[in-house]
Amino acid sequence: MARSKAASKKQQKQQQKRGVDFKKIKRKLGRKLPPPKNATNTEVKSKAIVLPEQSVASEKAGLAVSKKGLTLKELLQQTSHHNSKVRRDALMGLKDLFQKYPAELRSHRYAVIEKLRERIGDDDKVVRETLYQLLKTVVFPGCKEDNQGPFVSLMVAYIFNAMTHLAVDVRLMAFKFFDLVVQYYPPSFSLYADKVLQNYEDILRKNQFYLEDKAKLRSALAGLVRCLSLLPCNKRKVDSSEENMAGQKILHAFELDMPAESSGFSSITKKLKDLVPVLVNCFQDFFPSVHHMPLLDAQSFDCMHSILQSIDLVVGFFGYGIHQGKPASQLSYEGPDEAIWDHTISSLLLKKLFGVFPLNPTNHLSEKTCSDSRSGKAVWEKHILLLLPFIPKLVLQVASDWKSCLLQAFTKIFEGCNPQSSLKLACLSAIEEMLIPGDDMVYPDASDPLFEYQITWIRALPQLLILLGDKHPSSSQVVLHLLLRLGQCANSSSPFSREYENMQYSLDKFYSSCVDRGDVYYGPFIRLSWDSQELAICGLYYFSNLGPFLLKSIAFCCLCSELEHLVLFRIIEVLHSAFSAGHIQIADYISFFMTLLSRFKVLPENLTFAENIYPDVESDAKISNRGTFKLLTNTVCSCLSRIGDDSLVFQILEQVIFDQLLLKPPLDNACALLRVLVVLDCKPTRLSEQGIITLSKYLSGCLNVGSCEPSCIPEDDEENSLPTHQQTCCYYMLPCFFLFDRSPKLLKLVLNLMGSLITESSSSPSSHSYTQYGNDNSNQINAVVSALLLMHKDTKVRKIISSFKEEVVHILQIIHSLQVKFLVTGNPENGLAVITYTYDLSGRSQVTSFSLSG
Amino acid sequence: MELLIASSSVADAGIGCWDLESGAEQLRYKSCASPPHGLACVGQRFLASSQLREQPSASSGSILYWSWSKVEVKSLPAEPIKPIAANSHGTYIAGGGQSGDIYMWEVASGRLLKKWHAHYRAVTCLVFSQDGSFLISGSEDGCVRIWSLLTVFEECESQRASHLYLHSFTGHTLRITDIVIGYGGVSATIVSASEDRTCKVWSLLKGRLLRNIVFPSVIDAIALDPAEHVFYAGSRDGSIYIAALNAESPSTSSYGMHIIGSLSDHSKAVTCLAYSTGDLLISGSEDGMVRVWDPITHNIVRMFRLAKGPVNNILVVRRPLYLNLGSFSNPHTSSRRHGSQLPPPLDKYVTSADEDVDNKGVIRLPSLYNAPRDASYISHRTIDNHLKELQQQGSSAATEMEVERLKHECNRTLQMVQQWKKMYENLHEFCVNELLDGDQVDGSKRNAV
Repeated sequence: MARSKAASKKQQKQQQKRGVDFKKIKRKLGRKLPPPKNATNTEVKSKAIVLPEQSVASEKAGLAVSKKGLTLKELLQQTSHHNSKVRRDALMGLKDLFQKYPAELRSHRYAVIEKLRERIGDDDKVVRETLYQLLKTVVFPGCKEDNQGPFVSLMVAYIFNAMTHLAVDVRLMAFKFFDLVVQYYPPSFSLYADKVLQNYEDILRKNQFYLEDKAKLRSALAGLVRCLSLLPCNKRKVDSSEENMAGQKILHAFELDMPAESSGFSSITKKLKDLVPVLVNCFQDFFPSVHHMPLLDAQSFDCMHSILQSIDLVVGFFGYGIHQGKPASQLSYEGPDEAIWDHTISSLLLKKLFGVFPLNPTNHLSEKTCSDSRSGKAVWEKHILLLLPFIPKLVLQVASDWKSCLLQAFTKIFEGCNPQSSLKLACLSAIEEMLIPGDDMVYPDASDPLFEYQITWIRALPQLLILLGDKHPSSSQVVLHLLLRLGQCANSSSPFSREYENMQYSLDKFYSSCVDRGDVYYGPFIRLSWDSQELAICGLYYFSNLGPFLLKSIAFCCLCSELEHLVLFRIIEVLHSAFSAGHIQIADYISFFMTLLSRFKVLPENLTFAENIYPDVESDAKISNRGTFKLLTNTVCSCLSRIGDDSLVFQILEQVIFDQLLLKPPLDNACALLRVLVVLDCKPTRLSEQGIITLSKYLSGCLNVGSCEPSCIPEDDEENSLPTHQQTCCYYMLPCFFLFDRSPKLLKLVLNLMGSLITESSSSPSSHSYTQYGNDNSNQINAVVSALLLMHKDTKVRKIISSFKEEVVHILQIIHSLQVKFLVTGNPENGLAVITYTYDLSGRSQVTSFSLSG
Repeated sequence: MELLIASSSVADAGIGCWDLESGAEQLRYKSCASPPHGLACVGQRFLASSQLREQPSASSGSILYWSWSKVEVKSLPAEPIKPIAANSHGTYIAGGGQSGDIYMWEVASGRLLKKWHAHYRAVTCLVFSQDGSFLISGSEDGCVRIWSLLTVFEECESQRASHLYLHSFTGHTLRITDIVIGYGGVSATIVSASEDRTCKVWSLLKGRLLRNIVFPSVIDAIALDPAEHVFYAGSRDGSIYIAALNAESPSTSSYGMHIIGSLSDHSKAVTCLAYSTGDLLISGSEDGMVRVWDPITHNIVRMFRLAKGPVNNILVVRRPLYLNLGSFSNPHTSSRRHGSQLPPPLDKYVTSADEDVDNKGVIRLPSLYNAPRDASYISHRTIDNHLKELQQQGSSAATEMEVERLKHECNRTLQMVQQWKKMYENLHEFCVNELLDGDQVDGSKRNAV
């Protein structure tokens, strides 16, 4: 290699030498000429030039930018700018950016939060506000579904830092931030409860400023309320268990053993204890200012309200802790301590809070006075609504003079507010808490001022129920539930029992009331939902003496065709239970059933029509309520037979039923009444002599109608007589057959009467026109004959009837003579009809054939 | 070897008792009219039954004891008692009063241990848990309450808490008709039935409602399947519904949610149910019949006729071993013999506190059921009396006893000596005879040789 180089050098040298001597350069043909020496080189060679550019001109395609064209990184840098306006703008920009590109937030959330948290303790108010808005509207909702634990822990350290900031504003704002955190991540409270409560305590101790900056304090206190509401409390637990009950599908399934939240709270009880006196003091500090002001401004009201709410929650937590402490062994040693503490709380409350609490009534009054002027009724209602839940607890603890004051105010509100309003609902729940004796089962004595008010409330309930009508089912349900609970507790030893008893006189309008003769006004009961109806019916059970007055009203309700038949049977069931518990007099009970059976309106079914449309469906199930009535009859029968001694019940019923029968009720009702008789009767009949005679009179008429009306149609085309029709017929005739079976004497009387009926009708009315008379007569005969036929078809009755040949023969002879008469008088049509029937009779029955031949 | 015991509210039907295997009727106690839940078998030893009032004034709400051989002890509590229950060992009887009070008696002494106000209205049924540590009561006000006996009896515990009960379930709107509790101690499942047509399943451990089942009619009686897969609910429309306890049942069931099927023979209302260990379901009906069902095939296996009136209670108890048919044939002689067997009647009132102090007695319970005549119950008091006697009579009695004992021993040793002597003589005689005989044999042998 080296040698070759050296060789090439040598060659060059030689060439140069020669070039110096002869300046001739040999050129090869076709070669391009070299450019002239003075030619300008047009090639430009360049290297990259880096110039610091202005951002406005920079290329940011594909990068997420804010409205002002700033990227995330830039904005984050600017948040720590020394100029507060820049900082604010940066925060605005971030908000803007994240709203446009939510993905950006998700991917960089830790970086973002690490930067943003520095601003929690910012000196500038506007910046903090902006940050709050940013976190509230964008950051937290955006990061909701992620694992928030580390996210929150990043923030909390700075929040606590801000809570101990020198500037009060910053501190108050920090509470607001913490509230926000808790709002989105509730477990954070239990994690940091210790510190937070400490901080709250500190800030509330320094009372010189919160009187000035009420708006801030209000929001801070709202945060405290939110935190404290996360404390486990008895009532909430119960509610939630009721809710998730519906979702419970498998009973013995494995359940995740979640660490109980309350375990974390056991350590903070001391903190909470310290907090309460502070809160009470704070509350007291408000008073001078409140009393001086002519109008209570909303902010201080809110503050006071929040304080009260917090106290309520803390006390509730202690109550819960005591209950929980029992089963948990590790807590049990704390038990007595807590119990003692409860006493200190209550004494403290008694001393301070209630010395101060005349506010409550005065508060209401002042609000009321101003409500007219500024039309702030809505505001007022809202405030009262918030106050109401405390009243039961206060009443329990407060001294008696304040108590009556408080109760008076409460009663005033309860009576004054609109029945549909949510205020009324809140009042009702407060009343329930105060009316139903709690765990200790101690009833208030009459000397207690509470008792007087309780009576007032109880008396107001039925009116309220009627006022509510059927338009507000949920409210009605609440009232009904309250009434039921009241009934359950109102045993003879309770002072409320008399009030509850008296309630039945005002409750009748709830069911139905008789306005004029026969004109019934139905109460809201009928149109309520099934749940409410059930509650109302159950409430009936607890009247220790359910009088005829209310029973009558219920009976009218039962007769209403709008009432679901399920509800009807439920009413009967509950009344039966009440009767067997001795809450209803037997006479009232029986007359209730008699009313049902005799007054029930069976809708007539259009048989032929029904069968044309539904050839194979049972007509009575579809069209009319006859099926319901049949069921009702059965239910009543079983209830009556369950009363006890059948013969006694029969004696009571006998006269009642005859009285009803003589009023000629519709066939269905009469049949039902007869069925009741039959069920209570036994084989040698229990009917009295007088009874048999009355019954025979009725039956002879009834049989005619009964066999005539439904059966005249099938008699036309006997060969394909409808099965359903036969069933209906049998249904009507069956009780009669039973009666005949048990008392042959009755049958004899009936047969005699039937015979005489025919003769009567054929002899008496001479004033009628000829054809009319014939028609009437033939109808009568028609009925009698078909009744006989029906009796004959039943094998058992046939046996009995065969022992009464004479009577049957007598009837047939009358018919026969009539038949001859018709033929003679020349009314061939009627005569023919009679002949046809007699022919039928003779052709099909041995008895008649025997009689004819004899 | 199981006995079926059924009682009716009709006085002349009384209590009937059948052998479940053979179907033979064993006993019948007349003149007992018990209300629902008013019959209990106390520790397999005797029956206790509360009474419906026969006449308006007389003997209302009394409690009767019936031993197997027709002896009765009558107690008159302070107020009419309807439901009663005894724990499985038969040491306690609990009774529920009309005013809502629950009474707790110690069986052996008849003392009223505790009485407390439990409900606003009359108590309708009482059940002990399997291990006897909880008492569950249902009331006319639709409330079911669970009492831990530990809390009830411990004074300081009961004073500290605001309420005595462990849980109070207020989900029912009407009277509670029946309650059953499953196995499993503190984590047992409780099923309650009410006149509001529902049965509710509760968890004892968590104290909350697990399931609510709505039936087509009022349920008057429930019985739990031993495996707790299903429970049987006897309704007023005459059928026995089978409701699921474990899995989610298809909602296509014609009866309603969670109801799998039904047993029915179109009789009158079912008033009580019991489940025997021989996999039989026993139902009592309003028409006075007791039906034994095979729960798998849904067929009736056997029927017993108790009375004209409704059957109110059914118990299935293991047959006591000593109970043979011979003793039934002659009730009068046995009654004399067993006269002292039944414990004293139950007290009317709680005895005062200072007496209570020395009455924390220990009761010796019979270890075997086949030795009933030795089974005496000696309360602490009798032992105290014995001790006192011994202390008072002191040493003289003891020395007397010692002398007696020594004399007895002396006699015995003397007898022993006599015996030994006799034996020695016998032996001696025997040996001499042997020797003499041997010599003779030898001599004869030699002679032969």
